[in-house]
Amino acid sequence: MKMAVFLGCTVPVRNLSYELSAKRVAGELGLELVDIPDFSCCGYPVKSVHHETAYLLAARNLALAEERGLDICTLCSACTSVLTEVSRELATNEILLDETCKSLGMLGRQYSGKVKVKHFVRVLYEDIGLGTIEKAVKRPLDMFRIASHYGCHYLKPSKIYDGFDHPEAPESLDRLVAATGAFPVDYRTKKDCCGGAILGVDEETALSMARAKLDDISNRGADAINLICPFCSVMYGANQRKIGAGLNVKYDLPILYYPQILGLAMGISHEELGLMQNPIRPRALIAKIS
Amino acid sequence: MLQDTGKEPRIGVYVCHCGLNIAGVVDVEAVRESARFLEGVVVVRDNRYTCSEVGQKGIADDIREFKLNRVVVASCSPRLHEKTFRTLLEKSGLNPHLLEMANIREHCSWVHYDNHEAATGKAKDLVRSSVARARLLQPLARTKGRVLPEVMVIGGGVAGISAALYLGGMGIKTYLVEKEPSIGGHMAMLDKTFPTLDCSLCILSPKMVEVAECENIKILSYSEVEKVEGQVGDFRVQVRRKPRYVNEEKCVGCGDCAEKCPVKVKDEFNRNMGTRKAIYIPFPQAIPPAYVIDEHNCRYLTQGKCKICQAVCERGAIEYDQTSYVETIEVGAIIVATGFQPYDPRGLPQYGYGRFPNVITSLDFERLICADGPTYGKLKRPGDSTVPKRVAFIQCVGSRNEASGGAEYKIDIDEEMGSSAGSRDPKAYCSRVCCMITAKQAFMVKEKYPDAEVYVYYIDMRTAGKGFEEFYQRGRHEGIVFLRGKPGEIEEQEDGCLRVVSEDLDSGCILDLVFDMVVLAQGLTPPEGLVEFAQKMNLSRSEDGFLMEGHPKLRPAETAIDGIYLAGCVQFPKDIPDSVAQAGAAAAAAAVMCSKESIEIDPLGPVIDDKLCIGCKLCEMLCPYGAIKVELTDKGPKAKSIEVACKGCGVCGASCSTKAITMKHYTDSQLTAQAKAILEVV
Amino acid sequence: MESVRRKDVPVVTVLDPKFKYEVAREPGGENIKYCFQCGTCTSGCKVAELDSKYNPRKIIRMVILGMRERVLSGDFIWLCATCYTCHERCPQDVRIPEVMNALKNIAVREGYIHPAFRAQAELIAGHGRLYEVDGFANEKRTDWGLTEIPQGCPEVAEIYGITGLHDLLSGGAGGKV
Ligand SMILES: Cc1cc2nc3c(=O)[nH]c(=O)nc-3n(C[C@H](O)[C@H](O)[C@H](O)COP(=O)(O)OP(=O)(O)OC[C@H]3O[C@@H](n4cnc5c(N)ncnc54)[C@H](O)[C@@H]3O)c2cc1C
Ligand code: SF4
Ligand code: SF4
Repeated sequence: MKMAVFLGCTVPVRNLSYELSAKRVAGELGLELVDIPDFSCCGYPVKSVHHETAYLLAARNLALAEERGLDICTLCSACTSVLTEVSRELATNEILLDETCKSLGMLGRQYSGKVKVKHFVRVLYEDIGLGTIEKAVKRPLDMFRIASHYGCHYLKPSKIYDGFDHPEAPESLDRLVAATGAFPVDYRTKKDCCGGAILGVDEETALSMARAKLDDISNRGADAINLICPFCSVMYGANQRKIGAGLNVKYDLPILYYPQILGLAMGISHEELGLMQNPIRPRALIAKIS
Repeated sequence: MLQDTGKEPRIGVYVCHCGLNIAGVVDVEAVRESARFLEGVVVVRDNRYTCSEVGQKGIADDIREFKLNRVVVASCSPRLHEKTFRTLLEKSGLNPHLLEMANIREHCSWVHYDNHEAATGKAKDLVRSSVARARLLQPLARTKGRVLPEVMVIGGGVAGISAALYLGGMGIKTYLVEKEPSIGGHMAMLDKTFPTLDCSLCILSPKMVEVAECENIKILSYSEVEKVEGQVGDFRVQVRRKPRYVNEEKCVGCGDCAEKCPVKVKDEFNRNMGTRKAIYIPFPQAIPPAYVIDEHNCRYLTQGKCKICQAVCERGAIEYDQTSYVETIEVGAIIVATGFQPYDPRGLPQYGYGRFPNVITSLDFERLICADGPTYGKLKRPGDSTVPKRVAFIQCVGSRNEASGGAEYKIDIDEEMGSSAGSRDPKAYCSRVCCMITAKQAFMVKEKYPDAEVYVYYIDMRTAGKGFEEFYQRGRHEGIVFLRGKPGEIEEQEDGCLRVVSEDLDSGCILDLVFDMVVLAQGLTPPEGLVEFAQKMNLSRSEDGFLMEGHPKLRPAETAIDGIYLAGCVQFPKDIPDSVAQAGAAAAAAAVMCSKESIEIDPLGPVIDDKLCIGCKLCEMLCPYGAIKVELTDKGPKAKSIEVACKGCGVCGASCSTKAITMKHYTDSQLTAQAKAILEVV
Repeated sequence: MESVRRKDVPVVTVLDPKFKYEVAREPGGENIKYCFQCGTCTSGCKVAELDSKYNPRKIIRMVILGMRERVLSGDFIWLCATCYTCHERCPQDVRIPEVMNALKNIAVREGYIHPAFRAQAELIAGHGRLYEVDGFANEKRTDWGLTEIPQGCPEVAEIYGITGLHDLLSGGAGGKV
């Protein structure tokens, strides 16, 4: 299986360990991820400012993948949502496709509506499959309790995701965690949003949203949060100290990207998975495993 | 005194204004003028109301004066007035089948209300094509059909029971077909009924006994309709009788068998909250009062050994060798009263039904609070059998829901409950009875447990009905709190209690409350299998999925098919009084039908040219009604039409590869002329 | 009456009945008129729970009533976290976060862009991405064995030109921002 990997804005600059581990694990599982250097921002951040621009940015990215005859595999959930939405719109709405093609033409590009988009983790869940993943596990992580944060755009709006998992009772991440041998921690605020999208508008509210979850997960005695989106990582990783500082508490909740968890279980060394490069260094976790 | 139609066609065209219904959009004068010089047209007129006395008289006068031999009326749907104008033609000495109607209201002014010009253009096209077809119309002789003075009622809920009693009371032989082992329907499952709070079975069971005792009514319980043939006055219905394995005549309902039966299974009558035996009676007042063996769970029938019930039954009523069989019953009219099935809230997993034991539905609640229910009338929450002190009701679960934003999910949360649970797609319509059901149930909690805190989350309270608003007021007076604002989800806490967050629209606060039990007011959805059932009966369904009435205002208990009537929730959700009232209307309509000596049958259906028929059986394979069969004749295998079964759908005519079949009144030449005319560029 | 009114009682005397149609014409706003004010959206909204300025149901109500200026100039429309919780549950398929996007799009055209969103849009125009991939970043990438990424993406600026966002942001061609 071969797909174009769409890194988006944040991952290639701020979450290198996510990219690194995803590519590493993909290689082991027979998923070839092809870089397309010309990809730009997916379009998501401008959707609320200028719809048409967002759509055209997304369409251009889709066109780049189509030129190479590849479907897109994404690492960021926000990229997943806008690219999926636009790919589906363009595949079904001929008028929109026509108009979009006219604009793409001005850039010397074209698009026929063929590219499909999937989040990396969804590819693991649906295409690689839990069975293959379980077989690839060499070092079951049964010493860890891991709480998954689904985030919003990985599952919602569910209409564009063919119902591969249920946003009201999600289970794909927990099952993927369980496949590595780790214990999937259930917690009350599991479905809640990280708040990242309004960090620039109302920092207090955004951080409070993140905090609610940090509290909940810490109280559940989880060893780490499982993340699949660099946006959420900003909230739980980069901002974890800031949230704690405001409250005079010190959270020490490592964040791990799912491919890192899987990679560890597959016996890949933590260096190769960039664990120490994560925003919260998971020292205790690494000690426990080795 | 049919006119000779071999003569040149002389057509009159009448374009109707229908007040402003048509004229408000379509330029009626222009349509009239467009028809003036069409071939064969002798006279054109427009009328304010063609169906009025004046309008009809005008046509009759023209037929006489201009010696018309065809009439085209451009007005509303033929479903409304074809009969009116056919009768008029007949009275004026013309064969009724020489009428052609162009529907320029439903097909034109109503749907294209926002484009007058295009609507007028389309109306002209429709009139032109109707004239083209009218030129080729042929007089047809109607046949007389017999009318059997017997009626079948399908579905033995309160609607079906009431209809059967009305008919039986009029001396009309009535068959009451019920798929379950007992009649009674949903009303038998209810504890009390709004707004008077009478005990449901106390008022229903006398009616059920009356049915059993009425000599004109025959109950066919544990039976389902398999096939319906024929037409108004003369239906042949094949009913599949499922084996009870208990002789209905011999069983006295003593219950010795069930006491000894070793197999316990979930009791569907108690919404799977209690248990019953493999030989059982659904509820003590069941009619017929006979036990039944559940063949999927009986140890003898599944594993070949046991026979305990046979050993203990003193009456020798157990008959393991019973098999299912088909009984054919001939009736003149049919009333469909197959009711509803409650919405299955697992389609809205945010409310946790099926996952959280203390989230129940309104029908579950009826069983929980009923003295004959699994808890003997003590309200105990299913999770831990404690009595809830804080109870919340959430309205509109599965109703008034255009689309839960979500997709069809592949994963399934809980398959435990099986198929009896009902449809999971949320419905756009208001289920009409849930507001009052909830008000009633909230009241019942307060009545039994005055200290309980009871909250009702609603979007709108709809209490239009005799005594309904007063009942709602009484509920408030008892201290029930009605909250405007629908919660988005239910969360389960570790102690099994349920956290409900909502926006209280009236105080402007976000309410974050915890309850011991939550009752979801599930909507009412079309009964299981209605799609296939409607196909069997050739009945249409409305957009909401229920069976379509003959006319939404004027024929609410009829259907588009003569001789088939509707009663109760199968037409749309309604309460008991409305179900009974509609049953009365359906019974009256069926009785009127059955009192006729004979009826005239439209001469539709195939005419088969034996010279062209090659006996290929294509028509036989395609006919949905089994109304055409290939038989061996001395000229080889030839298709034969079975007139009583034919509904005139035309599939055979359209499919015949050698064009051996001509449909009466819808001949190829008529239809081609019509199509050509509509495509003509003018 | 006018003279004795107090400030803390919001009295609205002028409504713009056309506003709801305007929003319904905007991509994402199509279903706004279906709203029957059930409150499901607000009941599950984490932002509304934390910030009293934000209430999706009320915003939709204000649009349907036609409080155009108040809605478009308000900072509250920028508070939706686009988590889609309400979108999944709204019984009338109003698609609230998309409605919020529609409102924000109109607001931008009317000259009310939130500074954080303006900054993002400008960054993307400049670098093709939210974050600049400079030499330092690429060096780190190559160290890690990851492919280099070109600095900037001129086609993105071209896209802003084609769609008119460039003019909007720079205040030209009718843009009020
Ligand atoms: C929880 C709840 C509480 C209610 N409380 C009240 C109340 O207090 N007051 C009130 O007025 N109304 C109440 N109602 C409404 C009331 O139940 C209905 O109005 C009434 O049951 C409708 O009767 P029916 O005969 O149309 O349908 P049903 O009761 O559904 O009966 C239909 C019958 O047809 C049978 N059937 C179905 N398909 C077939 C088939 N293919 N062949 C043969 N038989 C078939 C079924 O087995 C059933 O016996 C309540 C409803 C619910 C869900
Ligand atoms: S959930 Fe939908 S219908 Fe209900 S108030 Fe919100 S937008 Fe309106
Ligand atoms: S999408 Fe916006 S309005 Fe809806 S719940 Fe999330 S933050 Fe609130």
